[in-house]
Amino acid sequence: MRQEISESQRLRMQNPFIQIFKYIYLSLKILKIVAGGHGGTRKVIANPRP
Amino acid sequence: MSKIVVLGAGIGGHVAAAHLRRKLPKDHEVLVVSPNRNYQWVPSNIWVGIGRMKPKDVFFPLEPVYRKKGIGYKQAKAVSFHPEGDASQNKPYVLVEYVFGEKAGIQEKVTYDFLINATGPKLAFELTEGLKPGTNKAFSVCTYDHAEQASTGLNALVERIKKSNSRAKILIGTGHAKATCQGAAFEYILNVERELVRLGVRDKVEITWISNEYTLGDFGMDGMLLTYGNSTLKSSDMVEMIFRDRGIKWILGAGVFKMEDGKAHYENLEGEYKTEEFDFAMLIPAFSGHGFKAFDKDNKDITEKLFKGFMIVDADYTAKPYEEWTVQDWPETYQNPSYPNIFAPGIAFAPPHAISKPRKSKNGTDIFPSPPRTGMPSGITAKLVADNIIDAIKQGNMTLNHKGSLGNMGAACIASAGYGTTSGSGISMTTYPIVPNYNKYKNTGGRDLKKTFGDIGLAGHWLKLTLHYAFLYKAKMKPFWWLIPE
Ligand SMILES: Cc1cc2nc3c(=O)[nH]c(=O)nc-3n(C[C@H](O)[C@H](O)[C@H](O)COP(=O)(O)OP(=O)(O)OC[C@H]3O[C@@H](n4cnc5c(N)ncnc54)[C@H](O)[C@@H]3O)c2cc1C
Repeated sequence: MRQEISESQRLRMQNPFIQIFKYIYLSLKILKIVAGGHGGTRKVIANPRP
Repeated sequence: MSKIVVLGAGIGGHVAAAHLRRKLPKDHEVLVVSPNRNYQWVPSNIWVGIGRMKPKDVFFPLEPVYRKKGIGYKQAKAVSFHPEGDASQNKPYVLVEYVFGEKAGIQEKVTYDFLINATGPKLAFELTEGLKPGTNKAFSVCTYDHAEQASTGLNALVERIKKSNSRAKILIGTGHAKATCQGAAFEYILNVERELVRLGVRDKVEITWISNEYTLGDFGMDGMLLTYGNSTLKSSDMVEMIFRDRGIKWILGAGVFKMEDGKAHYENLEGEYKTEEFDFAMLIPAFSGHGFKAFDKDNKDITEKLFKGFMIVDADYTAKPYEEWTVQDWPETYQNPSYPNIFAPGIAFAPPHAISKPRKSKNGTDIFPSPPRTGMPSGITAKLVADNIIDAIKQGNMTLNHKGSLGNMGAACIASAGYGTTSGSGISMTTYPIVPNYNKYKNTGGRDLKKTFGDIGLAGHWLKLTLHYAFLYKAKMKPFWWLIPE
């Protein structure tokens, strides 16, 4: 089914009051993913110092 | 005492130099070699390109920061790599050429113990005939000066429309069959659309997206399935929803190969040759390596040990079909296998292959996006390279404890969709992992849906603006800069 942005969604998207809470929520959510760390996917054989 | 030379002062090089300096005692030397005397926060160039920011808002001069922090700086460009030295120089070195001031044109051997190549991409406009920023009515937003030129071009068009009440066509997207960075073009098209609304000429302009992607929202990352509110949405559906909402048309699977005044010639996957006319275009060029050469101590050409277009690192470069690609192909430490004291984070490393499914036109032309490496992974990979070098210096051996494969790393991307404190908009997206892991996340397009989401709204604009200020603060190395994540 084709997705559309409804009029009520559009109002919510541009409502500064609602968006302040969205801003805090998104900042924390993004920070959690960013702070979630990163790593390898396979073993690496350590190299001697050159 | 060790000497670490960092080539390039973009997101990758600057992050690496800053962390090295902060964590290493002062008797170790950190030297940055970069031809651009300014640090630019590239993501905000799209706002320069619509005239809502000035170039000076997105860059600052590097030398005073480096002087204050004890980081050496040469305004020069790397010319060739000599990882074994040569007959007259025992130590490995990079041949650099000064590009500014009294020393402009003079070449110098810059020796190192560790080398970080963070030279990013070459903006290869020449790979598309007639594509040159500011000519043929086509522009770029890849650098702040290109973006300023684009803003002037856009303004001139708006003035013309207002004066003559005529209609116009705008074309935005990718300017080469294998271009990447669709995200930047996506942001720009949405910002241009909003500006035209603000300036009261939107109804006079037809806006078209042209891209080498097979579907909308591919972004060179094979698209993604994401959480959107309470539902799950394909990125293609999300972008289609936004384009329809904004009245933007699209052309997909297009390999632009030639530009003429107001005309983009392209080949599509059907093998048809077509032309799209425009009054203003912004097309992202192909990104390529810089064409560096490397030589051993006997001056024998060993370029193939260091470069495969971009720099060779610990990736698995074995050619294999799309179906056999795995996250394990992607590098973890960004170390060159032949010379363990050379690293290439950010865009400078040669990816093992694309992320999006490769496709050929009926004429055999490759038309699909090259893999993007956005700001966040560029910063993360640069920091982990710096951390591995710091460990090697402090511990006396290279343990490579710090790893970060794009197959085990998330990325946040806040795509601006319009500028304005209350009228702005942004599309906040996160993806985990960046390179889809189809084995681990079989039913969700290779991604973890808890960490892959999208959201549209004003908050996205505020977030993007926050990142602009936060990352410029960090890049200026102001107090506690290092608390801000990459
Ligand atoms: C318009 C635009 C918008 C973008 N928006 C976003 C966004 O919203 N979010 C995001 O995450 N990413 C974004 N990106 C991508 C992001 O900018 C890149 O991922 C990032 O800049 C890559 O960092 P890098 O250090 O590898 O390369 P670069 O930033 O390109 O830096 C390369 C450095 O190397 C220097 N150099 C070049 N040649 C030489 C040489 N011969 N010798 C020495 N130095 C050299 C250059 O002067 C530069 O300082 C955007 C990109 C563009 C073009």
